[in-house]
Amino acid sequence: MVEEISKITQLTIETGKTAVFVEKQLSDKAEIVIEAGARVKHYRLHENAEHALSVKIGRGASYEVVTLHKGNGDLTLSFDLAGEEAFCRSDVVYLLGGEEKSLISSDVRHNADNTVSRQLVKGAVTGKAFATFEGGVLIPYERKKIDGAQQHRAILLSPDATVKAVPRLEIYADDVKCAHGSAIGSLNQDQLYYLMTRGIDEADARALLTRAFLDEVFDSIEEDDVREDFRRLAVFEK
Amino acid sequence: MSAWLEIKDLHAKVGDKPILNGLSLTINAGETHVIMGPNGSGKSTLSNVLCGNPHYEVTGGSVEFKGQNLLEMSVEERARAGIFLAFQSPTELPGVSMSTFMKYALNARRKAAGEKELDAVSFMKRIKIRAQALDITDEMLKRPVNVGFSGGEKKRLEIFQMAVLEPDFCILDEMDSGMDVDAVKVAGSGVQIMRSPERSFLVISHNTKFLREQIKPDHVHILALGQVVAEGGAELMDEIDRNGFAGFLKEAVA
Repeated sequence: MVEEISKITQLTIETGKTAVFVEKQLSDKAEIVIEAGARVKHYRLHENAEHALSVKIGRGASYEVVTLHKGNGDLTLSFDLAGEEAFCRSDVVYLLGGEEKSLISSDVRHNADNTVSRQLVKGAVTGKAFATFEGGVLIPYERKKIDGAQQHRAILLSPDATVKAVPRLEIYADDVKCAHGSAIGSLNQDQLYYLMTRGIDEADARALLTRAFLDEVFDSIEEDDVREDFRRLAVFEK
Repeated sequence: MSAWLEIKDLHAKVGDKPILNGLSLTINAGETHVIMGPNGSGKSTLSNVLCGNPHYEVTGGSVEFKGQNLLEMSVEERARAGIFLAFQSPTELPGVSMSTFMKYALNARRKAAGEKELDAVSFMKRIKIRAQALDITDEMLKRPVNVGFSGGEKKRLEIFQMAVLEPDFCILDEMDSGMDVDAVKVAGSGVQIMRSPERSFLVISHNTKFLREQIKPDHVHILALGQVVAEGGAELMDEIDRNGFAGFLKEAVA
């Protein structure tokens, strides 16, 4: 059951509860606590505003969040894996065009043993827009059996668009599996040519390849209505 | 019979390297032509130049397709005018399914012609009939285009695209390479079904057995050093089977 909710400021999901939220309007600042064993999926639309989200995830709890970020305004994400065996997936899709500018920063802190984090951030930037992604992962001293992964991929759709990626990995422990990567590039010319040899014009070919690129994030959304909604929203206004 | 495609004195280069050096070729409606020649003779360059690949630069000559100046048209305009290339190495499109790809391709043509988009039922019907004829399963249509397919499956999917888009002029670049005997038969029968008085084929291949059994060409051209050095009927393939390209190469140099 998907629940529509807007402008969360403070929210606690109690021990053992299961919830799926869609949040299409965000407050300036949200603080969420996921208590032990609770399982939460949270889908959020962030558009043209400053917003900070901070989530504390308790023992054995699972928090999965997908944020679609469009336009101006900074997005600040902070995840505290506070209890053992906590799990956090925090995927982001961002789209910037025109003269838009945005800093997307994320901090994932593995403050308990046996915690797992996954993050896939994908951006499409056009016009003269400027996006910065700062991705922090912290694994403190003496933490054990930590598994973290962070991937950032962006495509530049115009010669004047800019994406800057700043990975910040702070790993002070030994018993750690932590994969990360960042890649920024243009659309593949061979793929564009192949599409165009079938009669698809360049604008549609570019839109189709951009769609396919961003879909990797949306494909993980199990709720059909939510997934289609986000796919529909993740386009540049004409 | 009118000339479908008329290539006159075509010159083209890649970077600073001239590849086509005055190639002339005429193909009429309904004909099937074969181009053979040693590696580096310009066969794949010709197919890419006809499609408008921006990687190749045309430096001289002319190409008319059904009375239009093909060289002035963009890649997608050429496709909509009826030119189709079955790629030697089809490009992977991660995240794009074959059915989405074909829906875009068909609707692009309809949009350009001022028609409205195909409805879902007509689209599925068009896709399904052709898929069945070429042993292409629903699962293959749902998977990302060319990702994780065998060489033979990719080639079959190229023929499938050709069948869906119904072009007037089909270029098959080394279609038989990377395919096993059965796959070649399926693809070959796809080509046979599509032959019509209103459709011409240009087939690039080294494989005379495949050409004789599956393509049955009307005309054979031998390409060397970017020029046509010999033309004739299917009997030219016998000469190649016996002596290779050596004899033709001498003519090109002379």
